[in-house]
Amino acid sequence: MSDKARASRRPRITYQVALGGLLVALILLFGAIEPVFFYPDVLFDVTSIVGEIGIMALAMTFIITTSGIDLSVGFILQLSAISFGAVFAGTGNLALAVSAAMVAGILCGFLNGLIISGTKIPPLVTTLATMSLFRGLSMILAGVNSFSGFPEGFKKISTTLLFGVVPIQFIYLIVLFLVFNLVYTRGRLGRHLKGIGFNENALIFSGIKTKRILLLIYTLSGFMAALASMVYLGRLSSAKTSMGNDLNLQVITAVVLGGTSIVGGIGSMSGTLIGVLIIGVLRKGFTLLNLSGNVFNFTLGLILIVALVIFAVLERRKALAGRTQPAAKT
Amino acid sequence: MSGKRKVSREAILGILVVAFMAFLALTSNFDSKSGIYSMMLDVSPSIVGAIAMSMVIITGNIDISAGTILGFVAFAAGSLAELGAPAWIFIPAGILMGICLAGLNGWISVTFKVPSIVVTLAMNMVHLGFYATFLPNAGWVENLKDNFTWLGRGRFFDLVPYIFVIALLVAVLFMYIMKNTSFGKSLYAVGGNRQAAIYAGINPDRTVIKVYLVEGLLLGVAGILKATTANEIMPSAFQGREMIFISAAVVGGVSILGGGGKVLGAVFGAFLVYLLSIAMIYLGFQDYFQFSLQGIIVLIAVFVTVTDFTELRKKLRGTFTRAGRARKARA
Amino acid sequence: MQTAHTEVSSTTVLHLEGISKSFPGVKALNNMAIELRLGEIHAVCGENGAGKSTLMKLITGVYRPDSGTMSLNGAPLVVHNPNDAYAKGIAIIFQETSLFPELTVLENIFMGHEVLRPLLGGLAFLPVLDYPTMRAQAKEIFSRLGMDLDLDARVADLGVATKQMVEIAKALSFDSSILILDEPTAALTSREVATLFDTIGKLKAHGVSMLYISHRLDEIFQIADRVTVIRDGEHVHTEDVIKVTRDQLVSWMVGRTLHNLYPKEDVEIGEVVFEARDIRQEGKLGGVDLSLRRGEILGLSGLAGSGRTELALALAGLTERDSGEILIDGKPATFRDYRGAMARGIVYISEDRQKYGLVVPMSVSENITLPLLHRISGLAGIINRGKEGTISDRYIADLSIKTPGGDFVVNNLSGGNQQKVSVAKALAMEPRILILDEPTRGVDVGAKSEIHRIICALARSGKSIIMISSDLPEILGMSDRVIVMKGGLKVGELSRAELSQEKILELAL
Repeated sequence: MSDKARASRRPRITYQVALGGLLVALILLFGAIEPVFFYPDVLFDVTSIVGEIGIMALAMTFIITTSGIDLSVGFILQLSAISFGAVFAGTGNLALAVSAAMVAGILCGFLNGLIISGTKIPPLVTTLATMSLFRGLSMILAGVNSFSGFPEGFKKISTTLLFGVVPIQFIYLIVLFLVFNLVYTRGRLGRHLKGIGFNENALIFSGIKTKRILLLIYTLSGFMAALASMVYLGRLSSAKTSMGNDLNLQVITAVVLGGTSIVGGIGSMSGTLIGVLIIGVLRKGFTLLNLSGNVFNFTLGLILIVALVIFAVLERRKALAGRTQPAAKT
Repeated sequence: MSGKRKVSREAILGILVVAFMAFLALTSNFDSKSGIYSMMLDVSPSIVGAIAMSMVIITGNIDISAGTILGFVAFAAGSLAELGAPAWIFIPAGILMGICLAGLNGWISVTFKVPSIVVTLAMNMVHLGFYATFLPNAGWVENLKDNFTWLGRGRFFDLVPYIFVIALLVAVLFMYIMKNTSFGKSLYAVGGNRQAAIYAGINPDRTVIKVYLVEGLLLGVAGILKATTANEIMPSAFQGREMIFISAAVVGGVSILGGGGKVLGAVFGAFLVYLLSIAMIYLGFQDYFQFSLQGIIVLIAVFVTVTDFTELRKKLRGTFTRAGRARKARA
Repeated sequence: MQTAHTEVSSTTVLHLEGISKSFPGVKALNNMAIELRLGEIHAVCGENGAGKSTLMKLITGVYRPDSGTMSLNGAPLVVHNPNDAYAKGIAIIFQETSLFPELTVLENIFMGHEVLRPLLGGLAFLPVLDYPTMRAQAKEIFSRLGMDLDLDARVADLGVATKQMVEIAKALSFDSSILILDEPTAALTSREVATLFDTIGKLKAHGVSMLYISHRLDEIFQIADRVTVIRDGEHVHTEDVIKVTRDQLVSWMVGRTLHNLYPKEDVEIGEVVFEARDIRQEGKLGGVDLSLRRGEILGLSGLAGSGRTELALALAGLTERDSGEILIDGKPATFRDYRGAMARGIVYISEDRQKYGLVVPMSVSENITLPLLHRISGLAGIINRGKEGTISDRYIADLSIKTPGGDFVVNNLSGGNQQKVSVAKALAMEPRILILDEPTRGVDVGAKSEIHRIICALARSGKSIIMISSDLPEILGMSDRVIVMKGGLKVGELSRAELSQEKILELAL
């Protein structure tokens, strides 16, 4: 394989490296201001606070790769958590409560997938609408209550520290990332997702049932949101209707920041992981510097816009370069 | 040529609004003076906001940050009024705020070719963060005086709020603009058939930026209408308004895919969304059903506008009728 | 229609000379010339892909010529976009509709050039639409066209023919002196065609000069004054219609003598492997029968829009047929979608490789293995890269695809190599029956003959091939048998011995 070929196959490698550099720079910056940031337990805590958004961002990378979007994940997480809380409060049965959360998440995702694959309603409108729907449902379910008092054993799923410093979310993230990355880069599904993002027609003309794939990934997104809700609940130990409200944007920001194109086709699971970690470092750093959650959200929104703009500029430059590049002669 | 002239969608919506009101009046105390008054009070900002959103949707775009833009508008107008500024200062100031923020959305989306949904979604977050971080007291304005609230509280004949009249005037003006100006026509052109619009000499990018500027102007008006009805202003409380505007627009027959829809429809849509929520309350449902209801309304309305029903009917006929099944079996 | 064959004026209104235009990989027009005279109907004809539509798009400013001059009424002509052309009095009715479905007829006619008046009669800085004037103008235009149309009807509710009338009215609203009609009758019924010709006659009587693009010869003889034949992007002949015969026109269009470009070899043709009976699709196919033998290359000919592609899609299960039966090896095949057809060995290669054939931003090997990933991935759905490489390398070698490697992006390959990737992708599925839709469109000469060699080799190896092509020499050179289609029907079937370009055109036109 020639260098030229390699260059045209892997155009993003520099972007992800730069992103990794940004992550390191941020850590150094916060550490310089507040040396406590370098303590291993503080540094590792970053992975515990982004556990839930990391889990959701992996599935979101699938979706955005197909040029879709899921704006409802934050509220699926909320509804799952409330379902868990309500069932646990009613029955005291942990297994039943976990199943309820999982079923709620899967059903929500399935509903999204069904509408998106079965009608002409664009994903963004669909999930914008179901976002309200799920939000309302969890409010109906919870009323003014919040649910707490979960058993210690349950809390362990997100409060366990390995070797006294490594939060268990770190392990979750790494394991799930490896699975998702494998499917994304080496799997049939990953190939199909990128194909759908670039040119869905060509896949249909290759005999691939793209609608079924869309149904699958939106359902998966719902399932991952339910999983995330468990990890989140274990940490917060109370389920209420305010949780998850601002997670949508964090998840989408992580994915877009990681180099997955909002118009589809191109993406990177490792970029998503770095994006998630950057968000975690920012949040941890802001907390240490006593900056409010609102400053964080504000920064996050700005980062998303800047990432989109940089990406658009890069794409345009690449498109221009592509035009002048001579084609291989017959 | 077209002998069977169809009843327009707007006429149907209008009849629906009247029928709904009559139903509520018969089954509850909606027809009381206070019921009518609070409807007019509540629906006025929605009318203006729905018109703004409709124009954006007609060009094939959307604005998720419309709600939080209202927050900025309310803050700007309210805090100026708190300092003693008269209406001729705080109204233009609020409107200018709306124009700048919405214009920024349009400019970013067009210049960098980023889908408006993502830009405005991110902006929604930036705005919320900005309130809390940079505005004094998170933008909370208390103890609004008469110099501000006269607008929202004033009524004609002790019944019709000033702001309702303003909303209707805005509606009439924009019905006229959409029907009678080249600008109005170009919005439909860009959203309906972008290539043909270019062939017709219309610059789609410029048109989209223009529509965001006009949207901002209307959001400025809507924000002031809403803010002057209250005693205090909490900018973050405006988040979520965009869903009401979007619901009203799509219920009013504005196609989410762009290119179709009327201002009058959006106005009726605003009424319907309000009446539905009132009906839910009369029927004893809690307030938070609103969210679910809104989601369902949007889904149904969008489904109805984007689905090709003749095609669907053909498909369904094939699935459910005996002839269709037999035909399939043979194939 | 008695407007045809009148005395042609000697005044030139539009003159093009030495026009050339290339697209990547294709020379669409070469030293093209055409002259349009005042008040004439000037037909332009040629085979599919001869360059007719490109020519019209140059005149109306959709494209710019690479070289050559255009002049209008003696003055040099530069057109920036279609609206600019309209403003200069040149209007085009595009094949693809340029209307806005949700708007009314009146709004559509004046889109982009609305008649304005000052608001309240005096505020000149606030121009608003002058509906009464526009309405009056539109009424006047439609009365000139001799028809009565509800100006407030929504365009989406109109029929195809009426939409075309709206397009014509839109063109006339500019006071156009030159009107270009690009295959205006393609989607019309014969009744609607009569109305259209009536309209054209009225316009001619008003002194409008027209370029009329069509490959329907009957129409040309019916309405045109003069005719220009284009072949391979070059001007062949311009003549008064009254002085030419149908056969002459056909021979100009065909022109080329058959060179030995085609490596078609005789292979032993086996038993019938595939049969389609009475395939129907509402509005597209009116009951087509077809059979295909082992090792046979069946050519499918006909004009664009004759139902060739529609038939292919229906045979491959890519569109649903309303009725009809498909038999494979004499037994009814019950597949319901393309996946099922593929499982039975039927593979379709689209004519539009950019849109339906390939995912161009993906690599060569990713494209080749796209339909068969399930075969080369394990239980967990992880692709076996070794197998993937083996398969793609094999086909890259077999079809001699010129690429630096299997992981080179398809987008950066030449048209011919892209087409080979498309073919490789189909072959990797190891089909028995291959349906090729315009396999050499937009491909240069060298790659073209390579693709022909590949097709022949496939036939030799016992595969059965249906080849759709608008390129007559290709059909003639490659096919064992040819089916000619017209209006969704099979109108003729010719064996190799009976084949000639004239016969095919005769049936197809």
